[in-house]
Amino acid sequence: MGNLLDIRGLDVAFRTYGFRAHILKNVSLSIPEGGRVALIGETGSGKSVTAKSILGTLPGNAHVEGGSILFEGRDVLQLAEAERDRMKGTAFSVIMQDPLSSFNPVFRIGRHLDDVMRFADMRLGERSGAAERQKRIYEVLRKVQLSDPERVFSAYPAQLSGGMRQRVLIALALLHQPKLLIADEPGTALDVTTQDEIMKLINRLVSENGLSLLMITHNLGVVRQMADDIYVMRHGEIVEHGPLRQLFTSPREDYTRQLVDAIPPLYGPKVVDQPPVEGEAIIALTGVSKVFSERRLIGRGSEHIAVKDVDLTIGKGEIFGLAGESGSGKTTVARMIMGLIAPSTGEITVDGVKMAGTGRSDAFRHLTQIVYQNPGTSLNPKRTVGQTLSVPLRFAGLERVRFDARIAELLRHVDLPAHYVSKYPHELSGGQKQRVAIARALAANPKIIVLDEPTSALDVSVQKNVIALLQRLRDELGLTYLFISHDLSLMRNFCSRIAVMLRGELVEEGEPRTVFAKPAHPYTRALIAAVPVMADEEEQMKPSVSAEERKRFLVDAVA
Amino acid sequence: MNTNWLDVMLRRLLGFAGVMLVLSLMIFVLARVVPGDPARIALGPSATQEQVDAMRLEMGLDDPVLIQFVNYVGGALRGDFGRSLISGKPVASEILELLPATLELVLVTVFLMIVISVPLGVVTARYRNSWIDNTGRFFSIIGVTMPSFLFAILLQLAAANFFPGWPILGRIDYTLTAPQGPTGLLLIDSLAHGRFDVFASALQHLLFPALALAMAGIGQVTRITRSAMIEHQRRDHVLTLKSFGVPDRVIIFRYLLKLSSIAPLTIMGLEFASLIGNAFVVELVFSWGGFASYGLEAILQKDLNAVMAVVLVSGFFFIVANLIIDVVLLMIDPRLRFKEAR
Amino acid sequence: MSAPAMPQPEALSTRYMAWYRFTRNPAAVIGAFMVVTVILAAIFAPLIAPYPDHVGAVVDFRNRHAAPDMAHLLGTDKVGRDILSRVVFGFRVSLFLVIGVLGVAVPVGAALGLAAGYFSGLTERIITGFTNVMLAIPPLVMALAIGNVLEPNLVNAMLAITLLWWTWHARLVYRVSKSIAAEDFIEAARLAGASHWHILTREILPNCISVISVKTTLDAAFVILFGATLSFLGLGVKPPTPDLGSMVADGRQFLPEMWWEVLAPGFAIFYATLGFNLLGDGLRDMFDVEA
Repeated sequence: MGNLLDIRGLDVAFRTYGFRAHILKNVSLSIPEGGRVALIGETGSGKSVTAKSILGTLPGNAHVEGGSILFEGRDVLQLAEAERDRMKGTAFSVIMQDPLSSFNPVFRIGRHLDDVMRFADMRLGERSGAAERQKRIYEVLRKVQLSDPERVFSAYPAQLSGGMRQRVLIALALLHQPKLLIADEPGTALDVTTQDEIMKLINRLVSENGLSLLMITHNLGVVRQMADDIYVMRHGEIVEHGPLRQLFTSPREDYTRQLVDAIPPLYGPKVVDQPPVEGEAIIALTGVSKVFSERRLIGRGSEHIAVKDVDLTIGKGEIFGLAGESGSGKTTVARMIMGLIAPSTGEITVDGVKMAGTGRSDAFRHLTQIVYQNPGTSLNPKRTVGQTLSVPLRFAGLERVRFDARIAELLRHVDLPAHYVSKYPHELSGGQKQRVAIARALAANPKIIVLDEPTSALDVSVQKNVIALLQRLRDELGLTYLFISHDLSLMRNFCSRIAVMLRGELVEEGEPRTVFAKPAHPYTRALIAAVPVMADEEEQMKPSVSAEERKRFLVDAVA
Repeated sequence: MNTNWLDVMLRRLLGFAGVMLVLSLMIFVLARVVPGDPARIALGPSATQEQVDAMRLEMGLDDPVLIQFVNYVGGALRGDFGRSLISGKPVASEILELLPATLELVLVTVFLMIVISVPLGVVTARYRNSWIDNTGRFFSIIGVTMPSFLFAILLQLAAANFFPGWPILGRIDYTLTAPQGPTGLLLIDSLAHGRFDVFASALQHLLFPALALAMAGIGQVTRITRSAMIEHQRRDHVLTLKSFGVPDRVIIFRYLLKLSSIAPLTIMGLEFASLIGNAFVVELVFSWGGFASYGLEAILQKDLNAVMAVVLVSGFFFIVANLIIDVVLLMIDPRLRFKEAR
Repeated sequence: MSAPAMPQPEALSTRYMAWYRFTRNPAAVIGAFMVVTVILAAIFAPLIAPYPDHVGAVVDFRNRHAAPDMAHLLGTDKVGRDILSRVVFGFRVSLFLVIGVLGVAVPVGAALGLAAGYFSGLTERIITGFTNVMLAIPPLVMALAIGNVLEPNLVNAMLAITLLWWTWHARLVYRVSKSIAAEDFIEAARLAGASHWHILTREILPNCISVISVKTTLDAAFVILFGATLSFLGLGVKPPTPDLGSMVADGRQFLPEMWWEVLAPGFAIFYATLGFNLLGDGLRDMFDVEA
């Protein structure tokens, strides 16, 4: 048959600390000539190891224990190293995942590109001059929509934006027409709109050049546009595979169904409308701005306006969503509400108390708590769950004898067993850590909890449970949430009201139902349009964005 | 973006000027609180109280301390560190006379350090956990842990037993006369005067002291280079290049080496302080007769003015060395230039 | 395939991994052994030394400059004292110096570093500024100057070393403390109303302990080295108390013939510094920290 790549019964094990960890178990996967295949799995499922096995970049402690990888009928695992090297970048190429760390920071971008091209040329037996290579590289850079290739070529990695670096990574993979493109979670670290652009670009390049694509991702929404065949991976095994439509509409395995169901819908009958909350105002911002200024020794220092003239009222009991991409000022707004930083101008009132100065007064202390994005850094690794939870109790003046009872109650609130008090963070999973972080926020009896992308670092299946927990706690304890996120589909279902920020300004505000049905601001439209969705029907219900509008908000893409 | 160079450098210079000022203040205060009257030390125990009082007046010891400090700093800036309490000659001219000997030793030492430890660090990292690595690591840990004086003595013993006739004392064979000027560095002056016999002798004399002095730094820099190389090997950018089949040697000698030279360079700047300290030992063992020997003598004889000058000059050289390293780092690492700009 | 299968990916505790790394590192185990022998020799010096009385002002001119033999395993010095006995007691002085210096320098340096890393602003500026000034002083030069201008003896040497040594710990702990202080859990503790004292001692300090202990072990080696160099240059214990550095200095005049008088104490110093250094390196790999 016309399969470009055939993985048969691949077994890979890692050796660490005297143990053998079986990472890939009997993995089989086929990519037809010109086909687009997606490999889906959550963190640690072994999908990246599969990619590295194909590329031949497994770490030293990994051993291929069985199986074969046939590329055009030849088993690459049996090839001599030099022969295998010859295929890199020419037979198959990879689009690396993290645009930030994928370049050596002390070398120019052009140096990376030139070396990759030069050595691939040498392996192909072609001689090439530096000037000629530069011309070819510029061409490829233009192909990935970097309109100023000279500047990109001579820039250091730190001088480019994340989106631009991701484009360079794509260019790197396309320097020599490969047959197979392996994309390892491209754009994951980028903003939604940029990610969307990147996906469209990859898609176009694949179809224009007749490449085959292996798309590795944890994001099911992305897959719909990017693949025809889907493999679902879990704990190193392929649990299910089949054509996209069948897998999305009628999955055979529970696990796949769980994955599909965990994605919140953006449009359609499955969307949940949160009832509007008519509470009195608990948070009020009037004309709030925040300017960060930098002093320089000579010349004028620069000023950065993080938040510009924001008016905002949040009612008691609301789940207020603040959406925006990185650098939009949404986190700065939250930090001002928590009293961690003072506004440059304007006034903030929280629960009737007017904010003054930078200090958090005692009255303020119990009002607002926060749940952070990254479960890895939000708990002190050297302190047990019990010790972490006792801090707010102790400083709220609770008697020591009542600690145990209160901690047990807090753990009950977040659905963790009572014996978790003695566990250290490294013994907990990401979702469990996030539950402990929620319990800590509850411990001080706050009225408001700031949720700073509390689920974005979690796998989708876990994400759903944490969101359900948060919803229940709001109802039971009468809390008000300020939910900061860039995940619009999640906000659509979880928030009672949302606002969108762009470059420090509030550009849209309203109930999710109206905002999503009739987005007023073009940026909101662009943002919604970029959200990956699960079904074609949803895709069609998205607002349309003109090319000119898109360009206005994506300065990043076109250099 | 390169306009930030000026800003960055100006910041460093100001910082270093501040360090020098505080350093001189500290030394000044220390020198004033120690027991013993400098005037008395200068004149010896047989002097009368009147003579001592006259001396105190001359040395300005009866002025308010702040005035004394200002005068001292003013003098130091003009290159005037007062007179030696022992010899009575100006400290500055005494130091200036001996400085080239130490400077030559230190420069050769730094040269040896770089030439030996960087390749060693790269090779041990490349062949990690092989016998090459183990041998290299063994020698670098010896370098770090063996006292300089022991290593210096071992070198002398080795010369005495295995290379009879190899010079182990002084800068130059006593039958030769060193050419005068222009730099005071024998290696350069001899070439300038075409005296190849002097050059050869000076080079011979330099080898062992420089090795003894370099050893601690060689050990340290090798280790840092090795661990920086290994650390960076795990990074994503190496995987990027590997995925596209860029050969290992290019990854190591171009990409990793430049990135991994940042950490050892930083360490070398700090190491410079202990290098100056070890020069005291090495100059003593090899009868080098340089600035460090002068410093040791001054300290043992409690020649306060000379001691203060020695500490200040040592600090000055430390700062100059670090300033040079900072410039090199700024050239190597573009991130330093951008970071301070934002 | 010989290795047992790992029960679960997250099942390995950090403690297990640390212990695994340590025991698979022969250099670290050897270093630990060397350190233990040095400590035992120092503690039980009177029992181990063949001629315990040679520690004092004993003179035995018949046996002066005796080469190593069965009676004197490491030979004798210029007044006929057994060098092995003096070396064993010399370890006492070295370890005494280590305890004296690090006992003060580590807590002081750690406290200042901790504070500088956590409190930004003026506190940070003053402490880091001061440590930067201290770094510009060649430590040996300064210690010699201080020790000698006061009066050359062990206590003053210790004082001089301590005055300079804390800066290294301050710098190191400052770096760690600053990065920990930027973590979310510190802000969370602040939001929970925790006091500065609580945050410094209960939240940040426990995260610095492994770095501090690695650095302290490595530093033990450098304090021994530094102290030996000082006494080699004439600033050390008053005779006749045995001190390894001054033994080397004394023996140097009889080189190259009486090589044992230099090599025995010289290599004794080296043995101790090497031991502490290997152990420290092993601990560093074990805790996987930068120190």
